[in-house]
Amino acid sequence: MTLLLDMVTTAAILFIVAAGLLAIFGVLKIINFAHGAWLTIGAYCAVATAGLGLNPWAALPIAFAVGAILGGITEQVIVRPLYRRPLDAILATWGLGIVIGQLITLWFGRDVQFTPNLLSGTVDVFGVGYSLYRLFAVAAALVIGLAFTFLLEGTRLGLSAQAVIMNETLARALGIDTARVRLATFMVGTGLAALAGVLLTPLTSVDPNMGVAWLIGSFMLVMVAGSSFSTLAIACLVFGGAQVLVSTFVSPIFGGITVAVLCALVLRISPKGFARA
Amino acid sequence: MLETRQAEAGTTMPKLSLSSVSSGYGPVAIIEALSLAIAPGQIFALMGKNGMGKTTVLKTILGFVALRSGDIRLDGASISGVSQASLIASGVGYAPQEQALFQDLSVRDNLRLALRSDRGFAEAVERVYGHFPFLRERLSQRAGTLSGGEQKMLILGRALMLRPKLLLIDEISEGLQPSVVERIATALKEERRSNGTTILIVEQNLPFALGIADSWAVLKLGRIDDAGDVSEGTAARVMQHLKI
Repeated sequence: MTLLLDMVTTAAILFIVAAGLLAIFGVLKIINFAHGAWLTIGAYCAVATAGLGLNPWAALPIAFAVGAILGGITEQVIVRPLYRRPLDAILATWGLGIVIGQLITLWFGRDVQFTPNLLSGTVDVFGVGYSLYRLFAVAAALVIGLAFTFLLEGTRLGLSAQAVIMNETLARALGIDTARVRLATFMVGTGLAALAGVLLTPLTSVDPNMGVAWLIGSFMLVMVAGSSFSTLAIACLVFGGAQVLVSTFVSPIFGGITVAVLCALVLRISPKGFARA
Repeated sequence: MLETRQAEAGTTMPKLSLSSVSSGYGPVAIIEALSLAIAPGQIFALMGKNGMGKTTVLKTILGFVALRSGDIRLDGASISGVSQASLIASGVGYAPQEQALFQDLSVRDNLRLALRSDRGFAEAVERVYGHFPFLRERLSQRAGTLSGGEQKMLILGRALMLRPKLLLIDEISEGLQPSVVERIATALKEERRSNGTTILIVEQNLPFALGIADSWAVLKLGRIDDAGDVSEGTAARVMQHLKI
Protein backbone atom coordinates (compact mmCIF):
# COMPACT_ATOMS: atom_id res chain seq x y z
CA MET A 1 0.00 0.00 0.00
CA THR A 2 2.79 2.39 0.94
CA LEU A 3 4.50 1.65 -2.36
CA LEU A 4 1.34 2.49 -4.29
CA LEU A 5 0.87 5.72 -2.35
CA ASP A 6 4.53 6.60 -2.94
CA MET A 7 4.04 6.08 -6.69
CA VAL A 8 0.94 8.27 -6.82
CA THR A 9 2.34 11.04 -4.63
CA THR A 10 5.65 11.10 -6.52
CA ALA A 11 3.70 11.44 -9.77
CA ALA A 12 1.73 14.30 -8.22
CA ILE A 13 4.91 16.09 -7.15
CA LEU A 14 6.44 15.67 -10.62
CA PHE A 15 3.23 17.03 -12.17
CA ILE A 16 3.27 20.09 -9.88
CA VAL A 17 6.90 20.78 -10.77
CA ALA A 18 6.53 20.26 -14.54
CA ALA A 19 3.15 21.98 -15.06
CA GLY A 20 4.58 25.51 -15.33
CA LEU A 21 7.19 24.37 -17.82
CA LEU A 22 4.53 22.67 -19.92
CA ALA A 23 2.27 25.74 -19.89
CA ILE A 24 5.08 27.81 -21.39
CA PHE A 25 6.24 25.14 -23.84
CA GLY A 26 2.69 24.38 -25.00
CA VAL A 27 1.88 27.92 -26.07
CA LEU A 28 5.25 29.57 -26.66
CA LYS A 29 7.07 26.54 -28.07
CA ILE A 30 10.18 27.43 -26.11
CA ILE A 31 11.71 25.63 -23.18
CA ASN A 32 12.21 27.91 -20.20
CA PHE A 33 15.49 26.61 -18.85
CA ALA A 34 15.22 29.10 -16.00
CA HIS A 35 12.31 26.97 -14.72
CA GLY A 36 14.53 25.55 -11.97
CA ALA A 37 15.41 29.08 -10.88
CA TRP A 38 11.71 29.92 -10.55
CA LEU A 39 11.22 26.86 -8.36
CA THR A 40 14.02 28.24 -6.21
CA ILE A 41 12.47 31.72 -6.17
CA GLY A 42 9.24 30.15 -4.92
CA ALA A 43 11.04 28.21 -2.22
CA TYR A 44 12.81 31.37 -1.04
CA CYS A 45 9.45 33.14 -0.97
CA ALA A 46 8.52 30.51 1.63
CA VAL A 47 11.76 31.28 3.50
CA ALA A 48 11.06 35.01 3.38
CA THR A 49 7.44 34.53 4.43
CA ALA A 50 8.60 32.53 7.44
CA GLY A 51 11.22 35.16 8.18
CA LEU A 52 8.52 37.83 8.26
CA GLY A 53 6.51 35.74 10.69
CA LEU A 54 3.59 35.28 8.27
CA ASN A 55 1.39 32.21 8.03
CA PRO A 56 3.35 29.60 6.02
CA TRP A 57 0.38 29.16 3.66
CA ALA A 58 0.67 32.81 2.68
CA ALA A 59 3.82 31.81 0.79
CA LEU A 60 1.67 30.17 -1.91
CA PRO A 61 -0.06 33.32 -3.27
CA ILE A 62 3.03 35.43 -2.58
CA ALA A 63 5.24 33.05 -4.57
CA PHE A 64 2.74 32.87 -7.42
CA ALA A 65 2.58 36.68 -7.61
CA VAL A 66 6.37 37.15 -7.36
CA GLY A 67 7.00 34.40 -9.91
CA ALA A 68 4.42 35.81 -12.33
CA ILE A 69 5.68 39.39 -12.06
CA LEU A 70 9.32 38.38 -12.54
CA GLY A 71 8.19 36.12 -15.38
CA GLY A 72 6.38 39.02 -17.04
CA ILE A 73 9.51 41.16 -16.90
CA THR A 74 11.62 38.27 -18.23
CA GLU A 75 9.21 37.63 -21.12
CA GLN A 76 9.27 41.25 -22.20
CA VAL A 77 12.99 41.87 -21.77
CA ILE A 78 14.66 38.56 -22.58
CA VAL A 79 12.32 36.00 -24.14
CA ARG A 80 10.17 38.10 -26.51
CA PRO A 81 12.98 38.91 -28.98
CA LEU A 82 13.92 35.21 -29.09
CA TYR A 83 10.64 33.52 -30.06
CA ARG A 84 11.92 32.93 -33.58
CA ARG A 85 15.24 31.67 -32.20
CA PRO A 86 14.27 28.87 -29.79
CA LEU A 87 17.86 27.65 -29.37
CA ASP A 88 18.96 31.13 -28.33
CA ALA A 89 15.97 31.25 -25.98
CA ILE A 90 17.19 28.05 -24.31
CA LEU A 91 20.67 29.54 -23.83
CA ALA A 92 19.30 32.86 -22.61
CA THR A 93 16.96 31.26 -20.07
CA TRP A 94 19.71 28.87 -18.96
CA GLY A 95 21.98 31.87 -18.36
CA LEU A 96 19.19 33.69 -16.57
CA GLY A 97 18.78 30.69 -14.28
CA ILE A 98 22.45 30.91 -13.33
CA VAL A 99 22.17 34.65 -12.67
CA ILE A 100 19.10 34.14 -10.48
CA GLY A 101 20.91 31.41 -8.52
CA GLN A 102 23.82 33.79 -7.89
CA LEU A 103 21.55 36.63 -6.86
CA ILE A 104 19.78 34.36 -4.38
CA THR A 105 23.19 33.30 -3.04
CA LEU A 106 24.18 36.94 -2.61
CA TRP A 107 20.96 37.74 -0.77
CA PHE A 108 20.42 34.62 1.35
CA GLY A 109 23.85 32.93 1.36
CA ARG A 110 24.78 29.40 0.36
CA ASP A 111 23.44 27.69 3.47
CA VAL A 112 20.49 25.38 3.41
CA GLN A 113 17.38 27.18 4.61
CA PHE A 114 14.51 25.73 6.58
CA THR A 115 10.85 26.52 6.32
CA PRO A 116 7.99 25.64 8.63
CA ASN A 117 5.95 22.61 7.64
CA LEU A 118 2.81 23.38 5.71
CA LEU A 119 1.25 20.18 7.02
CA SER A 120 2.79 17.70 9.42
CA GLY A 121 1.91 14.28 10.72
CA THR A 122 0.50 11.16 9.18
CA VAL A 123 -2.92 9.92 8.29
CA ASP A 124 -4.25 6.38 8.24
CA VAL A 125 -4.88 5.09 4.70
CA PHE A 126 -6.29 1.55 4.63
CA GLY A 127 -4.43 0.69 7.81
CA VAL A 128 -1.16 2.33 6.74
CA GLY A 129 0.13 5.51 8.30
CA TYR A 130 1.12 7.88 5.49
CA SER A 131 2.50 11.42 5.26
CA LEU A 132 -0.35 13.90 5.27
CA TYR A 133 1.71 16.37 3.25
CA ARG A 134 2.41 13.88 0.44
CA LEU A 135 -1.33 13.19 0.21
CA PHE A 136 -1.93 16.93 0.14
CA ALA A 137 0.46 17.06 -2.85
CA VAL A 138 -1.94 14.78 -4.75
CA ALA A 139 -4.82 17.15 -4.00
CA ALA A 140 -2.64 20.11 -5.03
CA ALA A 141 -1.77 18.42 -8.32
CA LEU A 142 -5.45 17.73 -8.99
CA VAL A 143 -6.35 21.36 -8.23
CA ILE A 144 -3.58 22.61 -10.52
CA GLY A 145 -4.65 20.21 -13.29
CA LEU A 146 -8.31 21.18 -12.96
CA ALA A 147 -7.47 24.88 -12.78
CA PHE A 148 -5.43 24.59 -15.96
CA THR A 149 -8.18 22.66 -17.69
CA PHE A 150 -10.66 25.37 -16.71
CA LEU A 151 -8.25 28.12 -17.76
CA LEU A 152 -7.66 26.49 -21.12
CA GLU A 153 -11.20 25.37 -21.93
CA GLY A 154 -13.38 27.68 -19.90
CA THR A 155 -11.91 31.15 -20.41
CA ARG A 156 -11.27 33.52 -23.29
CA LEU A 157 -7.54 33.53 -22.47
CA GLY A 158 -7.56 29.75 -22.75
CA LEU A 159 -9.42 29.82 -26.06
CA SER A 160 -6.97 32.39 -27.41
CA ALA A 161 -4.06 30.29 -26.12
CA GLN A 162 -5.45 27.22 -27.88
CA ALA A 163 -5.75 29.25 -31.08
CA VAL A 164 -2.14 30.40 -30.74
CA ILE A 165 -0.99 26.81 -30.11
CA MET A 166 -2.87 25.49 -33.16
CA ASN A 167 -2.19 28.20 -35.70
CA GLU A 168 -0.62 31.45 -34.60
CA THR A 169 -0.83 33.11 -38.01
CA LEU A 170 -4.56 32.49 -38.20
CA ALA A 171 -4.96 33.68 -34.61
CA ARG A 172 -3.28 36.94 -35.58
CA ALA A 173 -5.44 37.20 -38.69
CA LEU A 174 -8.49 37.08 -36.45
CA GLY A 175 -7.17 39.98 -34.42
CA ILE A 176 -5.97 38.02 -31.40
CA ASP A 177 -3.21 39.92 -29.63
CA THR A 178 -0.78 37.02 -29.62
CA ALA A 179 1.88 39.05 -27.78
CA ARG A 180 -0.52 39.45 -24.86
CA VAL A 181 -1.42 35.78 -24.92
CA ARG A 182 2.29 34.90 -24.80
CA LEU A 183 2.94 37.32 -21.94
CA ALA A 184 -0.01 36.01 -19.92
CA THR A 185 1.03 32.41 -20.55
CA PHE A 186 4.62 33.05 -19.51
CA MET A 187 3.42 34.76 -16.34
CA VAL A 188 1.09 31.88 -15.52
CA GLY A 189 3.88 29.36 -16.20
CA THR A 190 6.47 31.12 -14.05
CA GLY A 191 3.91 31.87 -11.33
CA LEU A 192 3.08 28.20 -11.23
CA ALA A 193 6.78 27.26 -11.11
CA ALA A 194 7.26 29.51 -8.07
CA LEU A 195 4.14 28.02 -6.48
CA ALA A 196 5.63 24.58 -7.04
CA GLY A 197 8.79 25.78 -5.31
CA VAL A 198 6.78 26.51 -2.14
CA LEU A 199 5.08 23.12 -2.34
CA LEU A 200 8.49 21.44 -2.59
CA THR A 201 9.89 23.01 0.59
CA PRO A 202 8.60 20.33 2.99
CA LEU A 203 10.09 17.63 0.76
CA THR A 204 13.50 18.95 -0.11
CA SER A 205 16.21 21.21 1.24
CA VAL A 206 16.09 24.85 0.21
CA ASP A 207 19.32 26.15 -1.25
CA PRO A 208 20.21 28.43 -4.20
CA ASN A 209 20.62 25.46 -6.57
CA MET A 210 17.66 23.36 -5.46
CA GLY A 211 15.75 23.96 -8.71
CA VAL A 212 18.49 22.54 -10.93
CA ALA A 213 17.88 19.02 -9.67
CA TRP A 214 14.24 19.21 -10.77
CA LEU A 215 14.86 20.85 -14.13
CA ILE A 216 16.07 17.87 -16.17
CA GLY A 217 13.25 15.57 -15.05
CA SER A 218 10.66 18.26 -15.74
CA PHE A 219 12.18 18.98 -19.13
CA MET A 220 12.13 15.32 -20.13
CA LEU A 221 8.53 14.88 -18.95
CA VAL A 222 7.42 17.90 -20.97
CA MET A 223 9.23 16.59 -24.04
CA VAL A 224 7.30 13.34 -23.70
CA ALA A 225 3.97 15.04 -22.94
CA GLY A 226 4.02 17.58 -25.78
CA SER A 227 1.53 20.33 -24.99
CA SER A 228 -1.14 18.29 -23.23
CA PHE A 229 -1.74 18.45 -19.48
CA SER A 230 -3.58 15.13 -19.46
CA THR A 231 -0.62 13.49 -21.21
CA LEU A 232 1.71 15.11 -18.69
CA ALA A 233 -0.34 13.56 -15.90
CA ILE A 234 -0.06 10.13 -17.55
CA ALA A 235 3.69 10.58 -18.10
CA CYS A 236 4.14 11.59 -14.45
CA LEU A 237 2.22 8.51 -13.28
CA VAL A 238 4.20 6.15 -15.53
CA PHE A 239 7.67 7.58 -14.96
CA GLY A 240 7.11 8.69 -11.36
CA GLY A 241 5.84 5.21 -10.60
CA ALA A 242 8.87 3.71 -12.26
CA GLN A 243 11.14 5.99 -10.24
CA VAL A 244 9.64 4.75 -6.99
CA LEU A 245 9.91 1.10 -8.08
CA VAL A 246 13.53 1.47 -9.12
CA SER A 247 14.39 3.37 -5.93
CA THR A 248 12.72 0.73 -3.79
CA PHE A 249 13.84 -2.46 -5.51
CA VAL A 250 17.10 -1.51 -7.21
CA SER A 251 18.81 1.56 -5.81
CA PRO A 252 17.76 5.10 -4.84
CA ILE A 253 20.67 6.36 -6.96
CA PHE A 254 19.28 4.69 -10.07
CA GLY A 255 15.83 5.87 -9.00
CA GLY A 256 17.05 9.44 -9.23
CA ILE A 257 17.82 9.09 -12.91
CA THR A 258 14.91 6.84 -13.84
CA VAL A 259 12.61 9.59 -15.15
CA ALA A 260 15.28 11.12 -17.39
CA VAL A 261 16.48 7.75 -18.73
CA LEU A 262 13.01 6.35 -19.44
CA CYS A 263 11.86 9.59 -21.07
CA ALA A 264 14.97 9.55 -23.26
CA LEU A 265 14.19 5.96 -24.27
CA VAL A 266 10.59 6.85 -25.14
CA LEU A 267 11.75 9.82 -27.20
CA ARG A 268 14.27 7.58 -28.95
CA ILE A 269 11.51 5.17 -29.97
CA SER A 270 8.81 7.80 -30.57
CA PRO A 271 10.39 11.22 -31.16
CA LYS A 272 7.07 12.96 -30.61
CA GLY A 273 6.54 11.34 -27.23
CA PHE A 274 3.23 10.18 -25.78
CA ALA A 275 1.05 13.04 -26.95
CA ARG A 276 1.31 12.49 -30.67
CA ALA A 277 2.71 8.96 -30.76
CA MET B 1 -26.03 51.69 -58.95
CA LEU B 2 -22.56 51.12 -60.33
CA GLU B 3 -22.42 54.61 -61.80
CA THR B 4 -23.41 56.00 -58.42
CA ARG B 5 -20.60 54.13 -56.72
CA GLN B 6 -18.08 55.18 -59.33
CA ALA B 7 -19.19 58.76 -58.91
CA GLU B 8 -18.78 58.36 -55.18
CA ALA B 9 -15.34 56.89 -55.73
CA GLY B 10 -14.41 60.03 -57.58
CA THR B 11 -15.60 62.35 -54.88
CA THR B 12 -15.15 60.43 -51.64
CA MET B 13 -12.12 58.97 -50.00
CA PRO B 14 -11.42 55.37 -50.99
CA LYS B 15 -12.12 52.79 -48.31
CA LEU B 16 -8.85 51.10 -49.21
CA SER B 17 -6.06 52.38 -51.38
CA LEU B 18 -2.71 50.93 -52.36
CA SER B 19 -0.18 53.36 -53.84
CA SER B 20 2.88 51.99 -55.62
CA VAL B 21 3.00 49.05 -53.24
CA SER B 22 5.90 46.61 -53.47
CA SER B 23 6.29 43.61 -51.21
CA GLY B 24 7.69 40.10 -51.16
CA TYR B 25 9.35 37.33 -49.23
CA GLY B 26 13.04 37.67 -48.39
CA PRO B 27 14.92 38.81 -51.47
CA VAL B 28 12.07 37.83 -53.81
CA ALA B 29 9.73 40.62 -54.88
CA ILE B 30 6.17 39.39 -55.46
CA ILE B 31 4.21 42.64 -55.75
CA GLU B 32 5.71 45.56 -57.65
CA ALA B 33 4.43 49.12 -57.81
CA LEU B 34 0.82 48.04 -57.38
CA SER B 35 -1.80 50.76 -57.11
CA LEU B 36 -5.53 50.41 -56.70
CA ALA B 37 -8.36 52.19 -54.93
CA ILE B 38 -11.59 50.67 -53.72
CA ALA B 39 -14.52 52.93 -52.95
CA PRO B 40 -16.69 52.45 -49.87
CA GLY B 41 -19.29 49.77 -50.50
CA GLN B 42 -17.57 48.53 -53.64
CA ILE B 43 -16.87 44.87 -54.42
CA PHE B 44 -13.53 44.57 -56.16
CA ALA B 45 -12.34 41.33 -57.78
CA LEU B 46 -8.59 40.78 -58.04
CA MET B 47 -7.94 37.96 -60.48
CA GLY B 48 -4.99 36.23 -62.01
CA LYS B 49 -3.37 32.87 -62.53
CA ASN B 50 -1.71 30.95 -59.73
CA GLY B 51 1.52 32.49 -58.46
CA MET B 52 0.79 36.00 -59.71
CA GLY B 53 0.74 37.52 -56.22
CA LYS B 54 -2.97 37.77 -55.45
CA THR B 55 -2.76 36.27 -51.97
CA THR B 56 0.38 38.30 -51.28
CA VAL B 57 -1.62 41.48 -51.91
CA LEU B 58 -4.05 40.51 -49.14
CA LYS B 59 -1.22 39.46 -46.82
CA THR B 60 0.57 42.75 -47.48
CA ILE B 61 -2.58 44.72 -46.61
CA LEU B 62 -2.83 42.76 -43.36
CA GLY B 63 0.86 43.20 -42.57
CA PHE B 64 1.80 39.52 -42.82
CA VAL B 65 4.14 40.35 -45.70
CA ALA B 66 6.38 43.35 -45.13
CA LEU B 67 5.80 46.42 -47.25
CA ARG B 68 8.99 47.33 -49.12
CA SER B 69 7.76 50.57 -50.58
CA GLY B 70 4.55 52.42 -51.25
CA ASP B 71 1.64 53.12 -48.95
CA ILE B 72 -1.56 51.37 -47.94
CA ARG B 73 -4.38 53.49 -46.59
CA LEU B 74 -7.61 52.55 -44.87
CA ASP B 75 -10.15 55.37 -44.76
CA GLY B 76 -7.31 57.71 -45.70
CA ALA B 77 -5.02 56.73 -42.85
CA SER B 78 -1.81 54.82 -43.48
CA ILE B 79 -1.87 51.31 -42.05
CA SER B 80 1.79 50.50 -42.64
CA GLY B 81 3.11 48.94 -39.45
CA VAL B 82 -0.32 48.71 -37.84
CA SER B 83 -0.80 45.40 -36.00
CA GLN B 84 -3.29 42.83 -37.21
CA ALA B 85 -5.14 43.15 -33.91
CA SER B 86 -5.64 46.89 -34.50
CA LEU B 87 -6.67 46.36 -38.11
CA ILE B 88 -9.28 43.76 -37.21
CA ALA B 89 -10.52 45.95 -34.36
CA SER B 90 -10.93 48.84 -36.80
CA GLY B 91 -13.32 46.78 -38.91
CA VAL B 92 -11.27 44.68 -41.29
CA GLY B 93 -12.41 41.08 -41.81
CA TYR B 94 -10.33 38.36 -43.43
CA ALA B 95 -11.30 35.01 -44.89
CA PRO B 96 -8.03 33.21 -45.70
CA GLN B 97 -7.72 30.49 -48.31
CA GLU B 98 -5.53 27.95 -46.55
CA GLN B 99 -5.45 26.64 -42.98
CA ALA B 100 -8.29 29.00 -42.30
CA LEU B 101 -10.01 27.11 -39.49
CA PHE B 102 -8.97 25.72 -36.14
CA GLN B 103 -9.83 22.20 -37.17
CA ASP B 104 -9.78 20.72 -33.66
CA LEU B 105 -11.97 23.42 -32.14
CA SER B 106 -15.75 23.41 -32.35
CA VAL B 107 -17.71 25.53 -34.80
CA ARG B 108 -18.80 27.66 -31.81
CA ASP B 109 -15.21 28.28 -30.69
CA ASN B 110 -14.13 29.15 -34.23
CA LEU B 111 -16.91 31.74 -34.33
CA ARG B 112 -16.12 32.98 -30.80
CA LEU B 113 -12.54 33.64 -31.84
CA ALA B 114 -13.75 36.33 -34.23
CA LEU B 115 -14.82 38.42 -31.24
CA ARG B 116 -12.62 39.76 -28.44
CA SER B 117 -15.18 38.89 -25.79
CA ASP B 118 -18.22 36.65 -25.55
CA ARG B 119 -20.45 39.65 -25.03
CA GLY B 120 -22.27 40.16 -28.30
CA PHE B 121 -21.71 36.58 -29.46
CA ALA B 122 -25.41 35.68 -29.46
CA GLU B 123 -26.32 38.70 -31.56
CA ALA B 124 -23.42 38.28 -33.97
CA VAL B 125 -23.98 34.59 -34.50
CA GLU B 126 -27.70 35.13 -35.15
CA ARG B 127 -26.72 37.44 -38.01
CA VAL B 128 -24.40 34.77 -39.39
CA TYR B 129 -27.21 32.16 -39.16
CA GLY B 130 -29.14 34.49 -41.45
CA HIS B 131 -26.58 33.74 -44.17
CA PHE B 132 -25.75 30.15 -43.25
CA PRO B 133 -28.56 28.57 -41.18
CA PHE B 134 -26.89 25.13 -41.02
CA LEU B 135 -24.33 26.52 -38.53
CA ARG B 136 -27.03 26.73 -35.84
CA GLU B 137 -27.21 22.93 -35.70
CA ARG B 138 -23.45 22.42 -35.90
CA LEU B 139 -22.15 24.65 -33.12
CA SER B 140 -20.77 21.76 -31.08
CA GLN B 141 -19.28 19.92 -34.05
CA ARG B 142 -15.53 19.96 -34.58
CA ALA B 143 -14.79 22.34 -37.45
CA GLY B 144 -12.49 19.82 -39.11
CA THR B 145 -15.38 17.39 -39.54
CA LEU B 146 -17.47 19.78 -41.65
CA SER B 147 -17.58 19.23 -45.41
CA GLY B 148 -15.40 21.42 -47.62
CA GLY B 149 -18.30 23.69 -48.56
CA GLU B 150 -19.48 23.97 -44.96
CA GLN B 151 -15.96 24.87 -43.86
CA LYS B 152 -15.84 27.68 -46.42
CA MET B 153 -19.18 29.00 -45.19
CA LEU B 154 -17.90 28.85 -41.62
CA ILE B 155 -14.78 30.77 -42.65
CA LEU B 156 -16.91 33.47 -44.23
CA GLY B 157 -19.40 33.42 -41.37
CA ARG B 158 -16.58 33.94 -38.90
CA ALA B 159 -15.27 36.88 -40.93
CA LEU B 160 -18.77 38.40 -40.86
CA MET B 161 -19.16 38.05 -37.07
CA LEU B 162 -17.65 41.50 -36.48
CA ARG B 163 -19.69 43.15 -39.26
CA PRO B 164 -16.51 44.28 -40.99
CA LYS B 165 -16.41 47.47 -42.98
CA LEU B 166 -13.72 46.01 -45.21
CA LEU B 167 -13.71 42.32 -46.03
CA LEU B 168 -10.72 40.59 -47.63
CA ILE B 169 -11.55 37.19 -49.13
CA ASP B 170 -9.02 34.78 -50.59
CA GLU B 171 -10.29 32.31 -53.23
CA ILE B 172 -13.28 31.24 -51.20
CA SER B 173 -15.03 29.53 -54.13
CA GLU B 174 -12.15 27.18 -54.90
CA GLY B 175 -13.34 23.58 -55.26
CA LEU B 176 -16.92 24.32 -54.24
CA GLN B 177 -20.08 23.08 -55.93
CA PRO B 178 -22.14 25.77 -57.67
CA SER B 179 -24.94 25.77 -55.07
CA VAL B 180 -22.47 26.64 -52.29
CA VAL B 181 -20.80 29.29 -54.44
CA GLU B 182 -24.25 30.78 -55.01
CA ARG B 183 -24.96 30.88 -51.26
CA ILE B 184 -21.64 32.61 -50.65
CA ALA B 185 -22.32 35.14 -53.42
CA THR B 186 -25.76 35.86 -51.96
CA ALA B 187 -24.28 36.33 -48.48
CA LEU B 188 -21.66 38.78 -49.76
CA LYS B 189 -24.17 40.82 -51.76
CA GLU B 190 -26.52 40.91 -48.76
CA GLU B 191 -23.71 41.97 -46.42
CA ARG B 192 -22.75 44.79 -48.77
CA ARG B 193 -26.39 45.87 -49.09
CA SER B 194 -27.18 45.80 -45.37
CA ASN B 195 -23.85 46.91 -43.91
CA GLY B 196 -22.21 48.85 -46.73
CA THR B 197 -19.27 46.46 -46.55
CA THR B 198 -16.41 47.06 -48.95
CA ILE B 199 -15.15 43.74 -50.29
CA LEU B 200 -11.89 42.79 -51.96
CA ILE B 201 -12.06 39.27 -53.34
CA VAL B 202 -9.14 37.37 -54.78
CA GLU B 203 -10.52 34.83 -57.22
CA GLN B 204 -9.96 32.59 -60.19
CA ASN B 205 -13.63 31.68 -60.53
CA LEU B 206 -14.75 34.23 -63.13
CA PRO B 207 -18.53 33.68 -63.06
CA PHE B 208 -18.54 34.03 -59.26
CA ALA B 209 -16.19 37.02 -59.13
CA LEU B 210 -17.73 38.97 -61.97
CA GLY B 211 -21.21 38.04 -60.78
CA ILE B 212 -20.79 40.07 -57.60
CA ALA B 213 -18.00 42.56 -58.36
CA ASP B 214 -18.34 46.17 -59.47
CA SER B 215 -14.72 46.48 -60.57
CA TRP B 216 -11.91 44.12 -61.37
CA ALA B 217 -8.22 43.89 -62.02
CA VAL B 218 -5.99 41.15 -63.36
CA LEU B 219 -2.68 40.66 -61.65
CA LYS B 220 0.28 39.40 -63.63
CA LEU B 221 3.65 38.85 -61.99
CA GLY B 222 2.81 41.25 -59.21
CA ARG B 223 1.58 44.08 -61.43
CA ILE B 224 -1.87 45.15 -62.60
CA ASP B 225 -2.10 43.85 -66.18
CA ASP B 226 -5.61 45.07 -66.90
CA ALA B 227 -8.47 46.57 -64.94
CA GLY B 228 -11.90 48.06 -65.33
CA ASP B 229 -15.51 48.11 -64.21
CA VAL B 230 -17.57 45.00 -64.69
CA SER B 231 -19.60 45.13 -67.91
CA GLU B 232 -20.89 42.74 -70.54
CA GLY B 233 -17.55 42.14 -72.23
CA THR B 234 -15.53 41.79 -69.03
CA ALA B 235 -15.58 37.99 -68.84
CA ALA B 236 -14.09 37.57 -72.33
CA ARG B 237 -11.52 40.25 -71.63
CA VAL B 238 -10.43 38.69 -68.36
CA MET B 239 -10.41 35.24 -69.91
CA GLN B 240 -7.79 36.42 -72.37
CA HIS B 241 -5.51 37.23 -69.47
CA LEU B 242 -6.13 33.96 -67.66
CA LYS B 243 -5.46 31.70 -70.67
CA ILE B 244 -2.56 29.36 -70.14
